[in-house]
Amino acid sequence: MRVVCAMSGGVDSSATASLLLDAGHDVIGMTMRLYDASEDERKGRGGTCCSPAEVDLARRVCAQIGIPHYVVDERERFRREVIDPFARDYAAGLTPNPCTRCNQHIKFEPLLQRAAAIGADAMATGHYARNLYGQALLRGVDPRKDQSYFLFSMGRDALQQVWFPLGTWNKDDVRKYAEGKGLPNWGAPDSQELCFVPGGNHGDVVQRRAKEMGISTDALQPGEVVDADGNVVGDHDGIHRVTVGQRRGFRTRTPERRYVLKVIPQSRRVVVGDVADTQTSRLEVGELQRLDLGPSGEVRCTVQVRHKSKPAAATVRWDAKTARVEFDAPIRSASPGQAAVFYGEDDRVLGGGWISKVEDRVNGPLESQA
Amino acid sequence: MRYPPAAVINLDHNATTPLHPEVRAAMVDLLGRTDLGNPSSTHGLGRACREVVEAARRSVAAALEAPALGVTFVSGGTEADNLALIGGARALERAGKPCGVATTRIEHPAVVAAAEALAAGGVPVAWIPTGENGAVDPAAVADLLRAQPELGLVSVAAANHELGNVQPIAEIVAAVREVREGVLVHTDAVQAFGKMPVSLEAWGVDMLSVSAHKIYGPTGIGALVHATHLQLFPRAYGGAQERGRRVGTENWMAAHGFGTAAALVADGIAQTDAHRALRERLQEAVERLGGRIHGAPALANTLNFGFEGAPGELMVMNLDLEGIAVSTGAACSAGSLEPSKVLLGLGLPPERAGEAVRVSMGRFTTEADVERLLDVLPTLLARVRKAAGRAAS
Repeated sequence: MRVVCAMSGGVDSSATASLLLDAGHDVIGMTMRLYDASEDERKGRGGTCCSPAEVDLARRVCAQIGIPHYVVDERERFRREVIDPFARDYAAGLTPNPCTRCNQHIKFEPLLQRAAAIGADAMATGHYARNLYGQALLRGVDPRKDQSYFLFSMGRDALQQVWFPLGTWNKDDVRKYAEGKGLPNWGAPDSQELCFVPGGNHGDVVQRRAKEMGISTDALQPGEVVDADGNVVGDHDGIHRVTVGQRRGFRTRTPERRYVLKVIPQSRRVVVGDVADTQTSRLEVGELQRLDLGPSGEVRCTVQVRHKSKPAAATVRWDAKTARVEFDAPIRSASPGQAAVFYGEDDRVLGGGWISKVEDRVNGPLESQA
Repeated sequence: MRYPPAAVINLDHNATTPLHPEVRAAMVDLLGRTDLGNPSSTHGLGRACREVVEAARRSVAAALEAPALGVTFVSGGTEADNLALIGGARALERAGKPCGVATTRIEHPAVVAAAEALAAGGVPVAWIPTGENGAVDPAAVADLLRAQPELGLVSVAAANHELGNVQPIAEIVAAVREVREGVLVHTDAVQAFGKMPVSLEAWGVDMLSVSAHKIYGPTGIGALVHATHLQLFPRAYGGAQERGRRVGTENWMAAHGFGTAAALVADGIAQTDAHRALRERLQEAVERLGGRIHGAPALANTLNFGFEGAPGELMVMNLDLEGIAVSTGAACSAGSLEPSKVLLGLGLPPERAGEAVRVSMGRFTTEADVERLLDVLPTLLARVRKAAGRAAS
């Protein structure tokens, strides 16, 4: 079969292409160019996923294993669908989830369209997730690498056309395989940071892009840190530098551990509290993606609110576009803007959405929130 | 499927040409010689190598009807264009003459970007209007020069790299001379050389750019050709080679290949009628399939076309997978494909410009090559349109 392999330049997608070739497929490598060389890269600090240096690595792998390779320009789409919402969300006091946005809007449709245009029967990526005959999305078998959380929004159509050959692999075995094949990137470190903000300083990216987009950057100025009762207890360098549930990006005058509970962009105030205040038992999600759910209903399942967080038992009630999640026991650090993904039996992804409201000590009951 | 396939049909000769067997043989002979030194050296090894360079210079000069001392060897077409615009404008400026540059939006990026760099440095730059099909009207050039007395250098390509348009260079020169004396006229003849007669003398231009790898010679060498005593501001310092216009030890191995290739251009020009017949056949087939032709191709080997609803990028990928090499136009440095600036410069909207496919034949192209392209085109086109339409709906 003719298969397009989406290649980022990393070891996972390179191994995927090689595995498909081993299986006798007619493999075509495709890499998206998503943004221009970053400041860091120009200074020689190396690149991240889909950076020009990684594009070159993908090209090198394809030349080595003997398959065609095409670079496609999706910089405009990436800016529109990923970087701009990222800046807009932070400026609005939300915690964005750019990797899931990228998987929803960038990773599949633009490449599936090209795959169809060049007569491919399928497309493959190096994600650690399992695709059960195009009918169900399951967690990858390597618990440390499972990427199903980022894929809940890929859509049923894409699920029917995309293969995830690494879903049944452990990362260590992938590296061993890549080393055995002599792939140049077999030992490259896993990328941990956002591809378009290498070095991890997302504050500068938000500030710059918001300015370019004409979004008011007033909300990104330094402001006050307050407790749940409104008493000023410290200060911060900008609401986009703090993340709900975390302890970074602000200073308080007292030594207790304080966590961000809420961000109020209008007053540039960051509300902090102790660990008990970060607990949530109910939340609401919007833009619901019903991968394996009917039009409406209720289900007992587990819900995960961050890539690395532990799934928690909950009851989910949903209709066409929204869902309400009630956890059996309170969980920590659910933030508006993050994805909540529902898992059923056998690690099956049922669906998920974007957290719009959380019920906790600061925000009060869901019903009272606008 | 192994890639690349064993036999590729090359229909992308405007990008580069394969080394001519005679050029290869001449270069291999030269590379085996141990009696050659640095062309600038006084000793016999140096003198022998100097003669290699000068013989190549005479050959290139003869092919372009130019004085041998007016051939300045450079690294290729891009450097030749840069030397012409930047070196020319700076020399005019230093001489206290008008040094503004007039050129078109459909030039090769080497000219457009050099003009933009000059503009960023405060040199006046004016854009010559082009007609619907990319034609330059000599009267429009004259009007521009009359309106803007600060203009002192005009650059128009003899043949467009993407469209195959041929401009009336001699008429443009005549129109310029009527407005005022002392204006330098440059033409990028990189695509024209080897495909049609090119003459410094007959055209009357002051400067002309050519490149070896477009005429079945090696990459890494080209020339800016000009009158013997033309003043050009150098772009690098260090030595006195090429009469100070382009310093650094001469690339004599490549120069030898260039000189050999230049002596063979007449053979290529002799194929014009055969290429034109194949191009007309291709054009008919494209039009029958509902395609449109971009520009007004006059170079016999080039056809630029587009099919509505079929991105050129996908057509090029599909043909590549069939073992047929064509292009969407100028290749971008990162290997990704962007809408052609030439077609945008012609006034095409970005979606239409993004549909461009450029076929360019060469000396070893056969009728069977074009037949093969025509065989696969309808199926590939239907597949691309279906897939692209799916996304749009």
